[in-house]
Amino acid sequence: MKAGNRSGTRSLWILAVAAAGFIAALATLPVPESAAAPGQEVPESRFAVVDVTLFDGETFRRNQDVWIEDGRVRGLGPRLRLPEDLPRVDGRGHTLLPGLIDGHVHTFGGTLNDALRFGVTSVLDQFTDPTLLPGAKFARDDIARTGEADLFSAGMLATAPGGHGTQFGMAVEPLTEPASAAAWVRARKDEGSDWIKIISEDGAAYGGELQFPALDRETIGALIAAAHAEGLLAVVHVTGIERALEAVSQGADGLVHVWIDEVIAEEDARRVAEAGVFVVPTLSVIASMFGDSTGLRVLDETDEELLSPMQWGTLGDRSYLRTGTAGEVALENVRRLHEAGVRIVAGTDAPNPGTGAGISMHSELRLLARAGLASDAVLAAATSAAAEAFRIPERGRISEGHVADLVLVRGDVESDVSHTTGIVTIWKDGYAVAREPAATGSAPEIASAPDGPIVVDFEDGIDAGFGSGWQVTTDAMNGGASTAELAVEAGALVVRGETKAGFPFPWAGAIWFTGPQPMQAVDFSGRTTLRFRTRGDGRPYTVMLFGAGAAGTVPPAVPFTAGPEWAVVEIPLESFSTADPTIIAGLAFVAQAPLGSFTFELDDVEIR
Amino acid sequence: MTAATRAHRWRIYVLEARYQFLMVLREPAFAIPTLLFPLIFYLFFGVVLGARSFSAAAPTYMLATYSVFGVMGPSLFGFGAGLAMERDSGVLLLKRTTPMPAAAYLLAKVAMAIAFGAAVILGIFLLGAHGAGVVLYRWQWFALAGVVLAGVIPFCALGLAVGAWSRGRGAVAITNLVFLPMAMLSGLWIPITIFPAALQDVANALPAYHQAQLALKIIDMDGGQATLLHVAVLGVQSLALLAVAAFGFRRAGTGAVSMRPGGTS
Repeated sequence: MKAGNRSGTRSLWILAVAAAGFIAALATLPVPESAAAPGQEVPESRFAVVDVTLFDGETFRRNQDVWIEDGRVRGLGPRLRLPEDLPRVDGRGHTLLPGLIDGHVHTFGGTLNDALRFGVTSVLDQFTDPTLLPGAKFARDDIARTGEADLFSAGMLATAPGGHGTQFGMAVEPLTEPASAAAWVRARKDEGSDWIKIISEDGAAYGGELQFPALDRETIGALIAAAHAEGLLAVVHVTGIERALEAVSQGADGLVHVWIDEVIAEEDARRVAEAGVFVVPTLSVIASMFGDSTGLRVLDETDEELLSPMQWGTLGDRSYLRTGTAGEVALENVRRLHEAGVRIVAGTDAPNPGTGAGISMHSELRLLARAGLASDAVLAAATSAAAEAFRIPERGRISEGHVADLVLVRGDVESDVSHTTGIVTIWKDGYAVAREPAATGSAPEIASAPDGPIVVDFEDGIDAGFGSGWQVTTDAMNGGASTAELAVEAGALVVRGETKAGFPFPWAGAIWFTGPQPMQAVDFSGRTTLRFRTRGDGRPYTVMLFGAGAAGTVPPAVPFTAGPEWAVVEIPLESFSTADPTIIAGLAFVAQAPLGSFTFELDDVEIR
Repeated sequence: MTAATRAHRWRIYVLEARYQFLMVLREPAFAIPTLLFPLIFYLFFGVVLGARSFSAAAPTYMLATYSVFGVMGPSLFGFGAGLAMERDSGVLLLKRTTPMPAAAYLLAKVAMAIAFGAAVILGIFLLGAHGAGVVLYRWQWFALAGVVLAGVIPFCALGLAVGAWSRGRGAVAITNLVFLPMAMLSGLWIPITIFPAALQDVANALPAYHQAQLALKIIDMDGGQATLLHVAVLGVQSLALLAVAAFGFRRAGTGAVSMRPGGTS
């Protein structure tokens, strides 16, 4: 027993010494020299990302150091000789990408900030308010700390009277004949358009569900020629293959959607490639339209706090949802075009319903990968190919002298492009970008409504009844120019006003704040229907539903018509395409398109 | 139980571990390959070829995966093959006739796996650090060692299950049949992202894959699945394998009969 005792004790000693030796040996292993951990902020536009895998715009390169100074890339390569005092960010286990470029967006509200917070450092806008353009040029040429993506834009679009592009209510100068093309293009150039966007759309690709007057072939040809004469690119909106191939033969530089009606023949794909035409497929908007959930999956993976109310609102909006296999046709077209050697440019068409500014770029990358593009081709489409196609200088590559628009993501993007959502740091013009949206103030709690129907009959004036009263609402809250005024006459609410161009979705009318204070939401669960009496000038109107904390989004809307005689309108709450239509902060009864003056009356407004 | 008997019992555990350790050391056919295989593999694929072949990040990636591989070896062979052979040779029967608790025998085997595993990963870490220039934060070195060593739990459970269901020399072959394909398919030698998608899916079923993902998470080189998922899969698989092992022992009959030399009855 004694021998066992001794050797037992000795074993314990040996064990202790071995464990101590093991720990001591681990402690001697090499550690990095004072590089900041990824994500740890480096305050100034002077730093290096060291030992990172980078995508330079074309290929992946391992173990690279990138030196940023004064908002530009000063140098890159393996084991750069860096100044001793240069702050370092440890890039191991991460991938550094050029700032992403979204090749198809529409700019309004906070979309430029939304884009930047998801790594999209430049956007190529395909139709926005031309008054934004001069400011955008100044901002993008200024290499300084900013909270917005650089905006490059077509400005106003070219379409036929009443054609696609006019339904948003924004001022559009339509064309009717080839002879006006040159003057039209010159006017765009003077406004600051970076290229010309032409609509070639009659709605046929949607199977007759939509119908638009479209520009004729001669006018499109004249516009393309006029753009080229002014030294501008001409890109064409198409959704049908026939108009797509026609635009190619007419000399278009790019197509800003992929067509959804038919899969392209291989020889036609080769023709597109030989013509040097690039394609911005906008798979995000097409896929979401036809029920694909990639965008929602990316939304699921994203920390809620990083999303603005508008990103939430537009991504969850299902009002474009259709049935059919056009999503698969679009993917197959991209596959064939890519295989034929056509330059593909990533673009989302955000913030159209089903997409979100910035965030949808990450679903676009996944969709391009699904269409058969390898990781390097997918990322090139979102960086260097976009920059080269639209002639955007100093962006789209990590290269000496280029603007330091960079995105550092966790993991190996080459093995799986879905890693792009793992954003650690975004640098714009060399400065780290704050990823949380600007605080909009904490939303008040949701109040509860008493049981039973809630009725407002205007017998005792405008502020009597449930909630905190009725007020004028117009697009002025989003920068628009529409006007309205309210009055109670003979026990009914009279709304008069005018909708004017300015905001992409103009509106003017009356809003009923249902909460104890304006924009405080009320829980109307158990109620299913909005019912009211109305009469008016016979034009179409819209009820918009404002839910909890969704300021800045385009709210879900349902149309109604106010005719000359009093009539009852009943709208099931579930026809508002929002997550929970019984949470209501306000109901707006407004005029939208067509622009112009309007008058209508409301009475006995009831939620039941 | 008095304090004296508690101390006595504790000594039994320590001594059993000590004698198993001595026995293993005197049996170089187990010790040398177990220690040297992962080191040589890492030296060749990670240090010499790794940096040059597909990625400069390879030495760091492989540091983690070959460490998992290095811990898997002693766990599987010590338990699986070791137990089967000791059962066939009668050593186990002999031990069962002593008053030593069965747990002492099993824990000694776990301790053995940890000791060998620790030696292997220390060797791999030193090779990586000084041979291939791998640099990690201090917490990463320690966390990696800890997570990789925790792998003895699922791997010993797997070893026990294989040992319970195989006999003598066959056990070594069967253990190899589990060991080598699992190492390959779990991405321990080369990243599974190189494989066709169908093979990549297979990895999700393998404990070594989840163990490797946990190790890779520490150095930010994992596939991006949730930590909890890997831990949960490993926990469930370990329990299932222990149940398979228990069933295997019970099926072979209990106690001395099943442990008779040759295994016939």
